[in-house]
Amino acid sequence: MLKAAIGPARHNLDPAPTYAIRSFAVALAMVVAFSAIGGQLVRLALKGQIVESRAAMTQPLTTSFWRPDILDRNGRLLATDVEAPTLYADPALIIDVDVVVEHLVQVFPEFDPVELRRSLSDRNRRYVRLKRGISPALAQRIHNFGLPGIAFRNEPKRVYPNGSLAGHVLGHVNIDNKGTSGIERYIDEAIGIEAAHAGAPGSLEPLRISLDIAVQHAVEDELRAAVQQFGAKGAAGVILDVNTGEVLAAASLPPVDPADRTQSLDPARLDKLADGVYELGSIFKTLTIAMALEAGTADLDKIYDVRAPLRVGRYIIRDPYPVGRPLSVREIFVRSSNVGAGMLALELGSERQRAYLERFGLIKPIRSEAGPIAAPKLPRRWGKAETITIAYGHGLAVAPLQFAATAAMLVNGGLFVAPTFRMSSPETARPVQRIVSPETSAAIRDLMRSNVVSPHGTGRRADVPGYEVGGKTGTAELPGRGGYIEDSVIASFIAAFPMSAPKYLVLVMLHEPKPTEATDGRITAGVNAAPVAGSIIARTGPLLGVLPN
Amino acid sequence: MLRITSAVVIGLALACAFTLYTVSYDTRELDQLVQSKERRIERLRSDIAVLRAELAYLSRPERIEPLARAMGFEPAKGEQYVEPEKLAGGTSVQGDTPGDPRPATTTPSQQQPERR
Repeated sequence: MLKAAIGPARHNLDPAPTYAIRSFAVALAMVVAFSAIGGQLVRLALKGQIVESRAAMTQPLTTSFWRPDILDRNGRLLATDVEAPTLYADPALIIDVDVVVEHLVQVFPEFDPVELRRSLSDRNRRYVRLKRGISPALAQRIHNFGLPGIAFRNEPKRVYPNGSLAGHVLGHVNIDNKGTSGIERYIDEAIGIEAAHAGAPGSLEPLRISLDIAVQHAVEDELRAAVQQFGAKGAAGVILDVNTGEVLAAASLPPVDPADRTQSLDPARLDKLADGVYELGSIFKTLTIAMALEAGTADLDKIYDVRAPLRVGRYIIRDPYPVGRPLSVREIFVRSSNVGAGMLALELGSERQRAYLERFGLIKPIRSEAGPIAAPKLPRRWGKAETITIAYGHGLAVAPLQFAATAAMLVNGGLFVAPTFRMSSPETARPVQRIVSPETSAAIRDLMRSNVVSPHGTGRRADVPGYEVGGKTGTAELPGRGGYIEDSVIASFIAAFPMSAPKYLVLVMLHEPKPTEATDGRITAGVNAAPVAGSIIARTGPLLGVLPN
Repeated sequence: MLRITSAVVIGLALACAFTLYTVSYDTRELDQLVQSKERRIERLRSDIAVLRAELAYLSRPERIEPLARAMGFEPAKGEQYVEPEKLAGGTSVQGDTPGDPRPATTTPSQQQPERR
C-alpha cells in the first residue's frame, strides 16, 4: 500500500534531471563562494598591506621646510640644514598635567606655568607645540622624565657653521625655515625649497655663491682690526671681480649673525654696503674726470686755475689743502682738488653730468641676489651748486656696492657689470654693453695708479709691492642737522689691482674714524682707509690667485 | 565524479589561500625590511648633515686663524710666490696646482665631501 502510494508519485517526478540541476546549483554556489573568499583573501593580502604602509608615511604635516645648502665658490659650507627635535605635547595622553608642567618649567624657565597648564589641559587638542629646535642633550633630558603625552618630532633647522661670517649677505630664515632676507630669500624666490615631510636633508642641489670664505674672512679680519685701530663706529669692505661683477667678499661691521633674526633690527648693524646710502666724497672725482674725458671737454694735461675758491650763490667751495698754483687734470685727481673737480663739472653742465651718472648706473635703483640695493638719494634740485658738490661726492648719496660696480666699469676697459652673488658662467653672461671708451678707462687706470705711486698722491699708503695697486681716497663729512658735522667723516678708498690689467676692485669704508698718533691726528682717508685697503690687498691677493709682479 | 571535482577544487582553493597568505606574509616582512632600511638611510643622511656642519664649524677661519698664528703661521705674502717657470732648473712645485697659489699650510682644508 505504501509502496503503491509512493511508487507512482516518484515515477511521475522524473528524478534524473532534478538531481543534475540540484548538484550543479550546489557546485556553482560553492565555486562562487570560494571565489569570493579567494578574491577577498587576495584583496586583503595586497590592499591591506598598502593601506598600512601609506598610513605610516603620511605622518601629521609640518609647516617646516628643507632648504638647499649654501656653498662658497670653492664648495665650502656657508649654510646647511640639520634635524633638530621639536618638543610637543598630546594633551589627550597626559595623565597628570601638574607633574608635566612642573618638569617642563624646570627645564625651560622661560615657560609660563599658568599658560602651559591651560594649553595642556585642553583634552580636545592632540598636538601642542612647545619648543622648536632644541638641542639633542636637552631632548634626552626631557625624554628621561618619562612623561606620557610628551614627545619629539625632528624638524629642519638652519645652521651657519661660520657664525657671523658674511651674515649680511646670507640673510635670515624664519621659524619655519623660510628665507626672509638676503641669499636665503633669493633661494625661496628663485631656487625653491621642499616641505619637511616630503624631503630629507641633503636632497636639494646646493647653491654655490660667488663669495670666497677665505677672502671674506681676511676682509672682515682687516676691517675689525681697522675699527679697533681707528676707533671707528663701523666699517665696510667689498671685493668685486671687475670683469664679471662677482662679489668675492662683502663685509659690513658691526656684523650680524644669520642665526639671530633680531640683530638685523639694530640700526647700527645695518648692511652699510647695500642697505645704506652715503655721500662718498672724493672717490666721486674718478667719475667726474671720466665724464670730462668721455665728453671730450678735457684731457689729462689740461690746466685749470684752482687758486680762487668757487662761489655759487651763498656757497663757497675751497680746497682743504690748496696747492697755490694752477693744476692739470692729473694733478686735480692726485691732489684731490674740490675746486678743480667743480670746474670740470661746470664745464660739462648739470644735464650732461646727470646723463653720465645715469649711464654709469648711479641714478636708478638696482638689486642683487641678496636683495634690493638702497636707492640712490638724488638732490631735489640739480642746479649749479649741486653740480659742483656732486663732482666731489657730496649731494648725491649712493649705496657703496652700487658705486663699486660703477668703479669696476671704469677700470675694466669700460664695459657694464652689475654686482652679483651668483657664480658667473657662460649662461649668466650678458651682452657686452660699453659704458666708457677703452681710452677713458685706460686714463682712469693711469690716474688711479699715479695717485698711489706719486709722492703727492693721497693713496700712497695703499701701495703693496708687486700688486700695482691704484686707487682714490674719499673723505666725506657726515650730514647732520643744518649742514655737515665737522670731524665726523666717512673715510673711503676705492682701489683696483693689478692696475695694468685690473682683476679685482676693492672698496673700503670707515665710519667716523678717530684721529690717532699713527695718523698725526688726521682723519682723512689717506691715513686710515688707504692703508686698510693696502693690507686687504696684500692679504687677499695671494688667496685670489693674483701673483705679484 | 562530482564529489572528486569538488574535493579537488576545495583543495586547490585552500592551497591558493595558503600560498597567498605565505606570499603576503613574506611581502609584509620585506616591506618592513625596506622601511627599516629607509629609516636607516634617513638617519644616516641626517647624521651626515650634522657631521658636515660640524666639519665646517671646526674648520671655520675664525677658529683656524688663531690656532695657525699660535703655531707660528701667518697669512702668505705676495713675495713668497714664484712662477714655476722662474724657478732655477725647472724644478716642479709639489702639492700646488698651477695657478692656485694657496699653500695647504695656511688655509684650512677646502675640500668638502662629494654630495650625493
